[in-house]
Amino acid sequence: MTALPPTLTGAVYDRGYRPYQGMRGGRREATTALWRLSVRRALGLRRSWRQKVFPWTLLAITTVPAIVNVGVGYAIRDDPFEIPDFEFFTYREYVGVSTALLLFVALTAPDVVCPDRAQRVLPLLFARPLTGVDYVLAKVGAIATIVFGFGFLPHVVLFVGQMLVSDGALDYLTDNAAVLWQVPVSVALLALYYAAIGVALASLTDRRIVGGVAILGLALVTSTVAAIVTSAAGDDGSALDVLNVLALPLGVRDLVFLGHIGPDSGLSGVDGGGILAVGGYLVVLLSALALLFHRYREVDL
Amino acid sequence: MHPQLPPPMLRAAGLTMTYPAGATALAGLTVDVPAGSVGLVGANGAGKTTLFRLMLGLMQPTAGWLEVAGRGVAADPVGVRSRRGYMPEHDCLPLDQTASDIVATFGELAGLPPRAARQRASDVLDLAGLDEARFRPVGGFSTGMRQRTKLAQALVADPELVLLDEPTAGLDPVGREDMLDLVGRLAGFGISVLLATHLLDDVQRVCDHVVMIDRGHLVLAGPIDQLMQTTGLMRVEVGGRPGAVGALAAALAERGLEAEAVDDHNLDVDTSGHDEAVFDVVRDMVADLDLRLYSLSTRHRSLDDVFLQEAAR
Repeated sequence: MTALPPTLTGAVYDRGYRPYQGMRGGRREATTALWRLSVRRALGLRRSWRQKVFPWTLLAITTVPAIVNVGVGYAIRDDPFEIPDFEFFTYREYVGVSTALLLFVALTAPDVVCPDRAQRVLPLLFARPLTGVDYVLAKVGAIATIVFGFGFLPHVVLFVGQMLVSDGALDYLTDNAAVLWQVPVSVALLALYYAAIGVALASLTDRRIVGGVAILGLALVTSTVAAIVTSAAGDDGSALDVLNVLALPLGVRDLVFLGHIGPDSGLSGVDGGGILAVGGYLVVLLSALALLFHRYREVDL
Repeated sequence: MHPQLPPPMLRAAGLTMTYPAGATALAGLTVDVPAGSVGLVGANGAGKTTLFRLMLGLMQPTAGWLEVAGRGVAADPVGVRSRRGYMPEHDCLPLDQTASDIVATFGELAGLPPRAARQRASDVLDLAGLDEARFRPVGGFSTGMRQRTKLAQALVADPELVLLDEPTAGLDPVGREDMLDLVGRLAGFGISVLLATHLLDDVQRVCDHVVMIDRGHLVLAGPIDQLMQTTGLMRVEVGGRPGAVGALAAALAERGLEAEAVDDHNLDVDTSGHDEAVFDVVRDMVADLDLRLYSLSTRHRSLDDVFLQEAAR
């Protein structure tokens, strides 16, 4: 028998078990990891194409108005009266008007929390260096981050587009410098609000579909009730519009942009309307967070 | 220079846990368990899950003190979890994700950087025997593959201690053997194992020590070899004439040795409190009675015997 030359012989190694001696984080790293994984899940990344369709379609939908606005602006840049009935919307109006963001929350908030409870993953999560507070912050943070991104990106498209089609880009920038902070602040407040409500409602059930319906139901019921009670007040605004839970962040938005409640708000003309809007916003936001902290304060193994 | 000994796996003093509803799950548990493979045995409601929860820092004891792997749990109940692995008995895996993603995810959640977590996931899934299947969603896995995935996620962050809750539950005989082989290897990797189970055979097979609890109280704790050796019984097989067992039992009774007939040829002699010379005494007595001695041996108990005897006290 001829021995194989050494270069042709292989060796089988039993790698066995290799201890890990690298960096090891604590609560902060675990919370960040949970946030990152939740963002990934909500956007459908590392999932099938079906899971990707909805979030990215919504992003496209939220961006379409900005593209149309810029496109029309470009088309009539030489003759502003070419389309006399076209109404350009303002940056303020573009914050929170799209129901696509609400639909996104209704779809993704249940998807990032309901399976953890339904499939009993929570005991595994809480056996890691995570607390209930960390879990809530990671989940709400993940949804808020995406809603912020989807709410903010169209404004970037709008701003850059308008700047490019305007007569003077620098003049446009200086004339609209205020929106550079007003837009991110108001979109961030809206995103945090939507995310907290969405995750809180979703945390009450193990079933994703029930969570999604609850979120949309809240929007529908409160806006309908508020419309009925304020219509009874006639043309003037009514303090009862504070019942319209999803309109509250728009009141806060108005304060950011205008310093007072806008004319298109149900709280317009109401004494202390701004305070009512901020108060209602805070009550709802803090109630949602309190509910979440309560839901995840303790987990059975 | 002496090699550094690993700290004890578990040290508890007066550990008590009473739930708000009034149920006492642990009642003054005091135990000292060395590192290694340890079986935690007890019936339903014995307090095993409560002990796990306390060891993971998921709740604070009502009274008493607890140290796990050399660290006081009360001082940093959350931080200690980065060096613990936990494998629940029940299904706990996200069914729409692949085993590879799940294990890497739990590596990251234990504080490992993403790249390291993915590398470790690959390594431990190899170790657990999940090769190509790791890239398939767990929802399509058999029970055995799910159990392996659960074990892999418990090991991914290289814990100093893993808490395994009924790891062989629902497995067929082959799957059970594989799982026990794997669990039995962990101590060799420097990972202490606390194995909670109803199956005493599993404990006897893979563990060095056993802790038995019953209704929140410690029944016994110690090395398994020692518990099974110290039976205090000698099995004697005699013959030669009818009634040999009865005659020998009577003669032993006169010498102060308690004996109980098992059948027509065998009797058990209680040797507790006697040294090895008692074997010579029995042998000589058989000769004096002109009986035939076929065998004489120490009787080894199983863990089932130990548990039943101690629980009956």
